[in-house]
Amino acid sequence: MSRQANRGTESKKMSSELFTLTYGALVTQLCRDYENDEDVNKQLDKMGYNIGVRLIEDFLARSNVGRCHDFRETADVIAKVAFKMYLGITPSITNWSPAGDEFSLILENNPLVDFVELPDNHSSLIYSNLLCGVLRGALEMIRKLRYTANA
Amino acid sequence: MAVCVAVIAKENYPLYIRSVPTENELKFHYMVHTSLDVVDEKISAMGKALVDQRELYLGLLYPTEDYKVYGYVTNSKVKFVMVVDASNTALRDNEIRSMFRKLHNSYTDVMCNPFYDPGDRIQSSRAFDGMVTSMMIQVC
Repeated sequence: MSRQANRGTESKKMSSELFTLTYGALVTQLCRDYENDEDVNKQLDKMGYNIGVRLIEDFLARSNVGRCHDFRETADVIAKVAFKMYLGITPSITNWSPAGDEFSLILENNPLVDFVELPDNHSSLIYSNLLCGVLRGALEMIRKLRYTANA
Repeated sequence: MAVCVAVIAKENYPLYIRSVPTENELKFHYMVHTSLDVVDEKISAMGKALVDQRELYLGLLYPTEDYKVYGYVTNSKVKFVMVVDASNTALRDNEIRSMFRKLHNSYTDVMCNPFYDPGDRIQSSRAFDGMVTSMMIQVC
């Protein structure tokens, strides 16, 4: 039942199940500590932000992408290079706003949520909010732009 | 097609039990409870042999005039018990085995859900419920 996930260009193989279970344990512990879905969402976002500001350096060093000229290029790089490098999936980019400054990333098989079923008492929990925080942190570092995430 | 499906924990309390709703459910609960003795007997009988050769599928536990009861035990001593209609002769051994394998896989998925505490009743898993419904007899 174990699935292999490639981690970066050094191809360090690690079981994705340990990763999924670790994230799950993190979220459930946060739920027990804060007992309020909104607070948990905020904490996940903060943690993701801290990961993002550091991860962007690693990403730029490993991927060698040049400067993106417009937002659409940025969207492409995020979906096809960054997500592929760190999670091994390629989300689809949809839902461009008319002004071209908002888009949605749809993750078909998000490795963070394998086996997870949200119980009814946590209906407003944004389980993958860590990813939103990571994107926010990373983009703020390179473009110094406000990024709002709607999960 | 099963008439009743039950998942029993290591300490012999039920984690999940569901039967076809039109029948007297207490009767099925009782049958599952009595079948636990047979399961324990089979485990201890095979335990004298090499433990790693012990198969997970236990086979027919005991037949009654209306029903047949099948058992399956995991290496963590979680037991699955399935009651099928005795008149349903079309059900072959392989099909029962594959049903138990599906149950085992769904059970492992429920275990991996971080919101599920091991030892709790399996109440909130829609995937598990859906899988069990697909295995039970469709009663209008």
